[in-house]
Order: sequence, then C-alpha cells, then structure tokens
Amino acid sequence: MEITRRDFLKFCGVSAAALGLSTTDLGRLEQLLANPNGPTVIWLQGSSCTGCSISFLNRISTSAPTTVADVLINSINLAYHPNLMALAGQDAVEKAKEAYTNGNYILAVEGGIPTKFSGNACWGWNYNGKDITFNQVVKDLSKRAANILCVGTCAAWGGIPAASPNPTGVKGVKAVTRKKTINIAGCPPHPDWIVWTVVQILLGNSVQLDSYGRPTALFSRTVHSLCPRRETEEAETFGIDYRCLEELGCRGPETMSNCPTQLWNGGANWCCDANAPCLGCTNPSFPFTQLYSQESDD
Amino acid sequence: MATIKIIDPVTRLEGHLKIQVKVDTVSGVQQVVDAWATGTLFRGFEKILVNRPPEDAQHITQRICGVCPVPHGMAAVIALDSAFGVTVPENARIMRNLVLGANFIQSHILHFYHLALPDFIDGPSMPPWQPSWGADKRINSATTSNLVNNYVTALEKTRKAQEMGALFGGRLPHPPTYHPGGFTTTPRTERITKFKVYLDELLSFIQNVYIKDVELLAGVYNDYLSLGRGLGNLLAFGVFDQDSNGASKLLKKGCVTNGSTTVQSVDINKITEQVTYSWYTDSTNNLKPSSGSTVPTYPKTNAYSWLKAPRYDGVPYEVGSLARMWINGDYTHGISIMDRHLARADEALKIGLAMRNWVDQLKVGQPVFTRYSVPSIAASYGLTEAPRGALGHWLQINNGKISNYQVITPTCWNASPRDSNGTPGPIEKALIGIPVGNIDQPVEVLRVIHSFDPCLSCAVHVMRPSKGAKIFTLGHYHSEEEVHAHREHKKGFPNGT
Repeated sequence: MEITRRDFLKFCGVSAAALGLSTTDLGRLEQLLANPNGPTVIWLQGSSCTGCSISFLNRISTSAPTTVADVLINSINLAYHPNLMALAGQDAVEKAKEAYTNGNYILAVEGGIPTKFSGNACWGWNYNGKDITFNQVVKDLSKRAANILCVGTCAAWGGIPAASPNPTGVKGVKAVTRKKTINIAGCPPHPDWIVWTVVQILLGNSVQLDSYGRPTALFSRTVHSLCPRRETEEAETFGIDYRCLEELGCRGPETMSNCPTQLWNGGANWCCDANAPCLGCTNPSFPFTQLYSQESDD
Repeated sequence: MATIKIIDPVTRLEGHLKIQVKVDTVSGVQQVVDAWATGTLFRGFEKILVNRPPEDAQHITQRICGVCPVPHGMAAVIALDSAFGVTVPENARIMRNLVLGANFIQSHILHFYHLALPDFIDGPSMPPWQPSWGADKRINSATTSNLVNNYVTALEKTRKAQEMGALFGGRLPHPPTYHPGGFTTTPRTERITKFKVYLDELLSFIQNVYIKDVELLAGVYNDYLSLGRGLGNLLAFGVFDQDSNGASKLLKKGCVTNGSTTVQSVDINKITEQVTYSWYTDSTNNLKPSSGSTVPTYPKTNAYSWLKAPRYDGVPYEVGSLARMWINGDYTHGISIMDRHLARADEALKIGLAMRNWVDQLKVGQPVFTRYSVPSIAASYGLTEAPRGALGHWLQINNGKISNYQVITPTCWNASPRDSNGTPGPIEKALIGIPVGNIDQPVEVLRVIHSFDPCLSCAVHVMRPSKGAKIFTLGHYHSEEEVHAHREHKKGFPNGT
C-alpha cells in the first residue's frame, strides 16, 4: 500500500476546519496514528444493501491530497469487513472473535437487525456448523465494544427494511442491545461523516449527540437552512434549475444534514443541485412515510 | 469419503451468501461433487412497496443494492413510464444511460480488483487482506506487487466513476434523479465537460490496465478457461436504449441454450419463480412475476434459501456480462470462470466507448422531464440489466397506489437454489467438478462464486448433502498459447468439461 499515516495527517491538516479539529487535536492524532497497534474495528453487515460501505469507499484514492478512507484502513486494524477481507467462512469469523477476546474495539454496524422468524431472516455467519443469527452476533459483539457506530439509517433506527409492514421485524442496534450508539445517519451516510466520527473516537473526544443519537456537530442544522435555493422561486415541475423544490415534496425543512455545504462525491453534486428533492434520508422516520413530502400533493 | 464444507460468510461480495459443498475424490482428484447455495437475508421489499405512491418505487428499490442501485432505479422508471403512458425526452434517456454506464464501470472495476483478485494474489500485509488463504497462489512476487498497486489505483478509479455518475445522478450510491417522465438533472455545459474528463481517464484505465490484468490472470490460471462452465444457458434482457422507443439497444435482449451461438428471442411470459427449496409458502410456487406473491415461511421442510428459483421455460439460466456479450455477438470464446472475467472487462470498454458518443448527444437547454398523471389502475414491467445480469421489475397500481411489486434480481438467477425438478441453480451447477487442493482453504470454490459477481443482499447456506451426488470429470488444462488463441483468434474451446 502506498498510503501512509503521513498522508492521513496531511488530509486532516488540509481540512482540519471541516473536520472540527484544533491544532492540539492534530498533534494528538499524530501521536495516536504513530502507534502501529491502531484501534481495532469490526464492521458487520446485517439487513443492509452495502450502500454505506460503498459510500465509505468513495473516499479512497492514491493521489494527493490523499483521501481519508484508505488511510483509515491503513491506520486502524480492520479485523473484519465482509466486502474487503481476504479470508472467508469460519477463518474470517475467527478474526472477529479474536478482536472480541482482546476487547476495546470499535463495532461498526451497517444495516438493521431482523427479529422475526427468531432472527433467521438474516444470519451473521456459520460457526462450527451452526447458523448464528445477525441478531445474536450483534448482541454478543456489542458486549465488549468500546464504541458502537451505527453506519447509516438502517442500523440506527431500522430504516429501509423496517418500513411498513416491517416484514422481518427489523430494529436498530440500540433497540436490540440497549447500549449507547453513535448514529451516523443517512441512506447512505456521507463518507466524511463516518470519518469525522472515527477521528473523534481516535482522539478520545466525547461526541455530543442529539436526542436521536446523531452527532450534533454534523446534524444540527436543516438542509433547508443551508440550501442556496432557499427563498428562490419554487419549481412547479421536475427538471428546472436553481429553484426551490418545496412544492415538489422536498424534505429539506425537516431534515438535519450539512449536504448543501458538504456536497457529495468529491464536490461533484448533491441531491437538490440535481433538482432532486431531499428525501430526508438522515431522519429517524426515513422511509416510514411516503418519500416526497405530502405538501406536494396539494 | 465425502466431506461437507460450509463457507459462511462468503466474503468479498454484496450481501449474505452461504455455500455448502460436498467434496470427494474422483479419479484421483479431490473435487466438489455437489453444492448448495443459500441466500441468508430476507428483507421483503415487495411487501414494503405495497400501498406506497408509485413514485417511491425508484428510490426504495435502489436500496435493494448499494453496489448496483442504478439499475433498480432504471427498471422502476421504465415500468412507471409505461404505466403512466409517458415518453421521456431524449436528454433524460441519455442521462439515464450515462449514470447507469458509470455504475457499470464502477462495479466492474470494483468486482475484478477488490472482490475477485484476492482469490489469486496475496494482498498488502495487514488486515483485512492478511491473513489470507495461501493455497494455489501462482503469480510471482514482482507481478503480484504490480497487481496490488493496481488494486489501490482501482480504488481511486471506482471513486472517480462514482463522481462521474454523480455529475448527472446527484450523488452515488442511490442517485435521487431517476424519475418517471424523465430525469431531474439538466445537462449543464460544465457538467458535460467534467463528465468527459472523467470518462477519458476511466477508458484509459480500462484499456491499459484492467483488460491487461484480466488477460494476465487468464494466462497464468489458464486451466480456469475450462472450469466452472455451469449450465451454458445464457439470458439477457438488454440495456442502454439508443432510441426513444428502446428498439435499438447497445446490448441486446435474447437467450441461448447450452452454449449455442444461435440467439433466440425472449418471451417474458415464460419466466416463473419456484419456491420448493425456498422459505416461501408452496402455494406461491411457479408463479409469473406479473402475478407473483412473496409469503415467507420459516422454517420449511427441505427449504434452504431465502432466494426464489427463477426459471425461464422451466430451466435455469446464467445472467451477467458474459451472457450479454455472448448474446450481442461480442464475446463467444467460451463459458468458464476466466471467460466471465474477460467478457466483463471487454464490456466495460464497450460501454465506456458508447458513453463517449452519448454524452455528445446531450442538448443544453432542451427538456429533461415530461409531465404525466398517475393512473388509478395500471400494470406494467421494466426490464434492464444490472452489472451482474438481467433485472426485472413488475408493477401493479390500484387506486393510484402500488398494489403489487415483484423484483427478480440477477443473483436470484445465478445463486438460485434447486427448482421443483431438483435442478441446481447456475452457481451450484458451476461448482460441481471444481478441483479442491486443500479442503481447509477451498479458494477454488470462491473463484467459481466470484466469477458470477454475486450481489445477494442475502446469503447462501448449504443445509445438507443430497443423496446420489452426480460426479463430473475435470476439464483439461490449456497452455498460455491456447489462451491467447482463445481471445485473439476466437478459436472456440471445447465447452467446459
């Protein structure tokens, strides 16, 4: 791998303000990342679509300024990730179990947890010939985790598979484990939101959360309040540039996220700049109601 | 003495897959003699869609898969356009194709380097690439080092393919811009310009790195040009409309049986889904998707998968890049593990080159959306292709709301369990006869599975071996010269075994 811890620090220096890091933080981060025994991460996928992992991967690059995600992979000990790891089957499971034995790891959960059919609508893995439900895997691995990250709306509150009639009884991680979770909302979450949260943990900073468990540093303002189209003329049909999308069902006024200033895919675009109404994917109620706000029905 | 080996999770694919293989020694060679594939996740999208407004469908169904969301958006809007009786503007047709094309390029590069290649080389010396199964690693250290560098470069290229797609798609994954009646984005000049810059960079990578690396792999592992053939039945729904009514497609619709080069037309009324070995109630067996029903029941005697078993004219079919390229006449060299990789790389180039023409056809300032009204009652379907194969959505509307929705994903075809006749699905079939050097590290099994690029959002389990397993003999090895001939001179190989 060509990515180094130095590249990671360089990135953090470039965007320290965006990441909310002080000079002191950067100094501490440099010390932490110099430690080859970086914090262990176990990344599990349950009732999910893998979109959160794909979004996370979107920050990976080899060219300067180095993006964040690949550096994280190099700076942390990613003990278990179903999409990336070389091992398969029980040999892969053993890596997660080793991390559990050592304790003090970050448990990242992508996807919700089915509870109907005794949990058998989603298996985590097979161990010694026995199928272990995802529900059981999350309950077990949450016991010795230093932090639990819900990566995406499904892990946080159930999300897509929990939409009515919730065919498999999907719940979020906190509802199943009764443990505190940091909910990095979004369908998918922006890669920088995931990275920001991991950096706070690396620094030992306490992450202030809102009543839904979302970091307030990321989710304290509505999309609408940040939107450059706010108070412009309203679009009455799709495919019109530079107009407010409220009449078309935009959920920007009720949705906490910094998308209008963060932008997506390396600044290429974001939903509303593509004339697509905000669907409210960072809301705990996503997608339990119809996606376009009912205001648009009038 | 036969041994049962369970692999769960099968890593480096989308979703949850469990594979169980029965391994025995036949004619002095230890090999797979039977296999069972189990999808281990059920979410019930078809139920979630009922009673929702029709315009939720293209957004909800994209969440079936975060690796290939765009084809679901495409299938949904095709179905909805048809239900609403609306013709979309040319700009919308083209941008739909361009964002889908970006998804294909991203997915194909990701699949080869990040999902499949670690079956053949040792990755960087740290988790999650190490430890790894060391069995049957044939590539020398200098070449391996080069491939690892390309693995890292490919991470950057997949990210850029997503950025390219987001220029029109808004953001990826899960672009919000697909909408019945057209597309929400307008083709602004600066976006067109940026798109071309990204596309040229990606085309260069595909031509100069990706295709060459696949050819290198196929040369070193040339025995894999005659392994994992499976059924030889190939099916494609076609994709990338090149005119307003979809009569001309970049990749055509069609099907072939048993490796034939005679392409037959597809009658979608011949598609049914069987659930004898799936955890769905037997009263829903063998229904057409237009009148399909999803009623989960667990546990169920003899069932071993959350995947249904789609069949065309009662028979299993393989779908994917090789099927598309074969049916289109672009790749008919063979059906095998390496042929799947080679056809996928060739397809990435074909689509990328077509995109370069399409982006020049966008007209700045022209419309992207046609108004429509939602009918009270309608029934329609949308057929397209995902990177990993044929995709269909079937839709019914009643009282202006979705009253029934059925989806058949590519991996339902490829990773399907046995059907009511006991016939294995394509991956199950392709596994049979695969030599296994070290049963504790059955990397050969992973190579077969990954060649199909499965995208489950479910897993494959094997519950127990069936009685009277069939025995298949091994394919013979080929020289590197033969691999070259295979590719360059289209000298057809004898099929599989």
